Parts: sequence; structure tokens; C-alpha cells
Amino acid sequence: MKWIIAQLRKESWSPYTSGAMLGLVVVFSVWLTGHSLGASGSFENVAGGLLKVISPQAADTLYWKHIMPAGISWQVYLLIGVFLGSLAASLLSSSFKLSANPDFQWRAVWGPQAWKRWLAAFVGAIILEYGAGIAGGCTSGLAISGGVALAPAAFIFITGMFISGILVTMLIYRRKF
Amino acid sequence: MNDILAAILIGFAFGWSLRKSGLTKYHKIVNVFRFTDLTVLKYMLSALVVGMTGLFLLDGMDAIKLAVSTPTYMAGNLIGGLIFGGGMALAGF
Repeated sequence: MKWIIAQLRKESWSPYTSGAMLGLVVVFSVWLTGHSLGASGSFENVAGGLLKVISPQAADTLYWKHIMPAGISWQVYLLIGVFLGSLAASLLSSSFKLSANPDFQWRAVWGPQAWKRWLAAFVGAIILEYGAGIAGGCTSGLAISGGVALAPAAFIFITGMFISGILVTMLIYRRKF
Repeated sequence: MNDILAAILIGFAFGWSLRKSGLTKYHKIVNVFRFTDLTVLKYMLSALVVGMTGLFLLDGMDAIKLAVSTPTYMAGNLIGGLIFGGGMALAGF
């Protein structure tokens, strides 16, 4: 019991342990609920729902009706759970802290200004979401959920993700690579 | 209602494992592309191996019907992945 509490309060786990935990989560999710995990889709669902309120005609397309149903979907609730789970994990390890620009590596490369971090996060997230929309999923929705079912799409996607990820980091970290 | 509760619980475990592995941090995501910290790969591949084993076991026991949810279309998956990777390296998510 003491050991379990100590593990729960630990700042970080081995990536193998937490990865295996995600594997079990994927199995139970598909087995018990019939849904597979995903993250990027929920933003599209919510965006579609907002569009429906602003302009119902613009939201009346095949995409919002069949591919990404507009509104609050199962995945949106999943994302609420993700937020609560990571919040609980950081609260339990007493590492919870509010900070506008928390990462030491970011500060070392780009400086301490918070607006730079927020701008890069905003622009990067738009690019990322756009790519996920074209590919049919993100790291969790396509690479993990598709990969466990041995979907070829997942492995093509991972290949593309690493090619451009490595190229872009090479550009950003030119001097300090 | 039960469906929503299940979603929140599954998401809770998902978020917990992400936070404990450190993948909520910018440097962990970016450093996998610099080959200085392979946490992302270790995490993703352990999840894939465990998930595959479990799902194909359940499929073999006829407990579930495993289906490929995302259709394969070379150009879309590859170009999407290329755009996605750029955003990922920039934002660090």
C-alpha cells in the first residue's frame, strides 16, 4: 500500500511503464466502450459546433455531418478527462505550478518572453491540427489507435511526422543541434 | 450518461500516463527529433505493443471485432503527417 502511494506521488514514471499503461487504456477503451482514443478530432467537433451557432449554412456540409460530427462528441469528454487526469497527476506529485513560459529549454533557445511561447504554440497548433485533419488523426487518434489495429495509415503518418519534425527542429536548433 | 462517464475515466487514465511520462513538456517532444531524449518513442512503442497484443488477443477470442478505422490513402496520410510534424516541432505538443 505504501509502495502504491509512493508510486502515485512520484514526479515521473518510466516511459515504458506509462506507455504500457496507455496500451491497456486503449485495449479497455475499445473493449468496453467501442470507442478508440483521439485528441485532435475533439477540437474539430467543438469548432464545428461553434460554426453551427454562428452560421448554420456554412456548417451544413458533408464534412461536419459525416466525417467530423459538429458539437460535443465522446472525444470532447475524453479530453476533459485528460485534463483532469494530468491535473491530478501533477497535484499528487506536488509539482503543480502556474507558469506562462515553463520550459527551461524553450527559455534557453528563445528567451524568457511568454508571448513568443504562446505565439509559437498557437501557430504550431494550427499547423498541427490542419495536418491531422488531412491525415485523418493525430498522434493518439491515428498513430496509436490506428497503429494498434495495424492500420497502414498510422505508419505512413508516423514516417511523415518524423521526417518533417526532424527537419523543422534542425532549422530551429541550427546552432545548438 | 454512462458513455460520458466512461469517456472521462478513460481520458483521466490517458492524461495521467501522459503527465507521468513527462510528455506534457515542450523539451520532451522536441528532443525526440534531436535524438537527445527518446521518451516519445519509448512511450509510443510500448503503448503500441501492449495495445496490439491486447486487442488482437480479444479479437482472437471473438470478444471484439477489430476493424481498421482510418482508411489508407498514401498521399493524404503522408502529407498530413509532414504538416503535422512541422507543427509538432514548433509547438512542442
